[in-house]
Amino acid sequence: MNSPLETRSLSLKREGNAVLDKVSFTVAQGEIFALLGGNGAGKSSTLLTFLGFLEPSGGEVLVNGQSVASDVTAARNAIAYLPEATSLYGHMTAYENLDYFLDLAGRSAGVDELNAAFDRVALPIEARSRRLQSYSKGMRQKTAIALALLRETPILLLDEPTSGLDPVAIDEFHDLVKALAQGGQTILMVTHDVYGACQVADRVGLLRRGKLVGSFSAENGQRIDTETVHAAFAEREAA
Amino acid sequence: MSPVTRIAREEWRLWMRSKVVVAAALIVATLLAATTLLTINRIAAEQSERLEQQIAAEKTFFAQPDRHPHRMVHYGHYAFRPPPPLAMFEPGVDAVTGQSIFLEGHRQNTAMFADTKAAADLGGFAALTPASLYQLLLPLLLIVLGHALFLRERESGTLAVMLAQGQSGTKLAAGKALALLTVITIFMIPLVAVAVYSTSLGESGLAAFSLVGGYFVYLCVWGAIVLAASIILKQRAVSLGVLIFAWLFAALVVPRFAINASSAMVDAPGKIESDLVMLAEQRKLGDGHNAADPAFQRLQAEVLEQYEVETIEELPINWRGVVASYSEAELTELLNGYAEKRMNLEAAQSRIFDFFGLASPTIAISSASRTLSGTDLATHHRFLRESETLRFDFVQSLNEVHAEELDYAIDMNRNAGPEASRRARVNAEAWQVLDEFRFVPDSAGERTSRAMMSMGTLTFWLLLAVAFVFISARRVRL
Repeated sequence: MNSPLETRSLSLKREGNAVLDKVSFTVAQGEIFALLGGNGAGKSSTLLTFLGFLEPSGGEVLVNGQSVASDVTAARNAIAYLPEATSLYGHMTAYENLDYFLDLAGRSAGVDELNAAFDRVALPIEARSRRLQSYSKGMRQKTAIALALLRETPILLLDEPTSGLDPVAIDEFHDLVKALAQGGQTILMVTHDVYGACQVADRVGLLRRGKLVGSFSAENGQRIDTETVHAAFAEREAA
Repeated sequence: MSPVTRIAREEWRLWMRSKVVVAAALIVATLLAATTLLTINRIAAEQSERLEQQIAAEKTFFAQPDRHPHRMVHYGHYAFRPPPPLAMFEPGVDAVTGQSIFLEGHRQNTAMFADTKAAADLGGFAALTPASLYQLLLPLLLIVLGHALFLRERESGTLAVMLAQGQSGTKLAAGKALALLTVITIFMIPLVAVAVYSTSLGESGLAAFSLVGGYFVYLCVWGAIVLAASIILKQRAVSLGVLIFAWLFAALVVPRFAINASSAMVDAPGKIESDLVMLAEQRKLGDGHNAADPAFQRLQAEVLEQYEVETIEELPINWRGVVASYSEAELTELLNGYAEKRMNLEAAQSRIFDFFGLASPTIAISSASRTLSGTDLATHHRFLRESETLRFDFVQSLNEVHAEELDYAIDMNRNAGPEASRRARVNAEAWQVLDEFRFVPDSAGERTSRAMMSMGTLTFWLLLAVAFVFISARRVRL
């Protein structure tokens, strides 16, 4: 059976500089895989190759076993993407934002369905009819997550998803991600938050200067050891 | 609702919620409405005034009492060029060519302006016409509205989200293009209203709606240029700067350069300058008022031979009238030669200017606009030719009256006293020689055919700009 997400010796250059160098990994269905790395490690670029926004200079990127290069639309239809900078329209309300983007994705949702998604991400009821320009970063993030949920895609790509969220919201978000994975969604998240990655992920890959330099898995139902990953992260970054 | 329509609708939502955009649109709409109403009012007044003045001039001419026919030649007459209905939108060359001519013997006068109207416009504010707003201001508003159409999405990160929903760059561009197209369609409403109104005043529907079509294509060219810049360029400030530069280049720099280039390539002396050059040659033709001028000796010999008489006193016709007629014909040939040369040079300059439409769509639309409205240089030249024909015909008809209805001896004796002067008059019924003059624009077919080159240039611009948008949209990157 094909893995929902896979890279094979993925290399990427941007403006002549090597961003990724022969990165290979797979993410199984229902798995949460966290790519951990410092600034400029190539984490976000890896996500963008799955969406076909960046073209690899070498290797291959596959979504559900199919090369992204051969059918980018199929890849995008299978993926819900939560960008790092929560990118929604400030001049629209949360309802309007979701209605618009879902429409673009070829999906429609009634008010009840929208409210159910907002409930899941704990977006306050009174805020839903306000324009996003008055939102805090955390509230914008929740709205974007609600959009990702409503897409009901088998794959979820999350770019620094807890950035800007308060600790309670982060915990709630982690619970939500785990629930989604248990429901069968495949999740690839990139982050530089070692603690958060170890809290939520089934597997953590360590990315450094475009190379996948380490991998850590949860074993025997235990969480990934934060200390070990942190030490590896610090060591690699210092190298 | 299709994704393309939805994208366009959401663009409109943003515009409607943006106070700056709404304010800019309201200012332009007010300016457009005010300018259109004021120009309609002015042109409608001028149209009826000039027609009334034409009729009044004819009545005054016909009402002249018994006179010596040559006094009527100098009494003269006026020819007016009433503005065509579409001049309410595009006054065209009216502002620089004059709209009426005083017609008299032995002279081709320069077209004049209506002083009463000109005096109220010493600041030149009447130059702000609906056509100039469409040509200059609306592209600027399209730039304000559209320079960030794509860039805003790119800079705020929503472009990634939109593409991630499975939409292609081409569809996003089509949605943005549709939004701009609806703006352009709204911009066209005042012009459509003017076109409909002009048809009620007798304008041809073909000309009026070709004008609407021309401006629609012109604004679509700007819309496509704006959209392409928004797709290709990476920063909003750069996009705005580049588009403003393009606007300055197309709307101000190229037309100014085109004027200088056409003047440099074809040196066309003005009317006054050619009149001064012509005076020397005119003197060689002899003075038509002096029947004894040596310049007419050969004519005298021919006429005496034709009538088989020895002296001019024996002629059955008035020799002074014959000389006046001959002199007028000779002089008119000379004047027409210079006038045609001058008009041909001006037309050549105009053609060179139009050629610069390939470098600026603003030149292409301004040329098409004047031609379709019937306010172009060719129409003015036709007015000059037709009024000259009117002048020559009535002067020669009066000379014919002079030659045939006034006895030579009585004529020669006209200054001998009041009674002699009275006897040297002819009956006022003779003034009916004046033809009625009603200047009308060329047919719609003629105007449309003359505007083909400019319209073709605009179409070329549109195809080029749309192809540019299409190619850029296919290569949309974050």
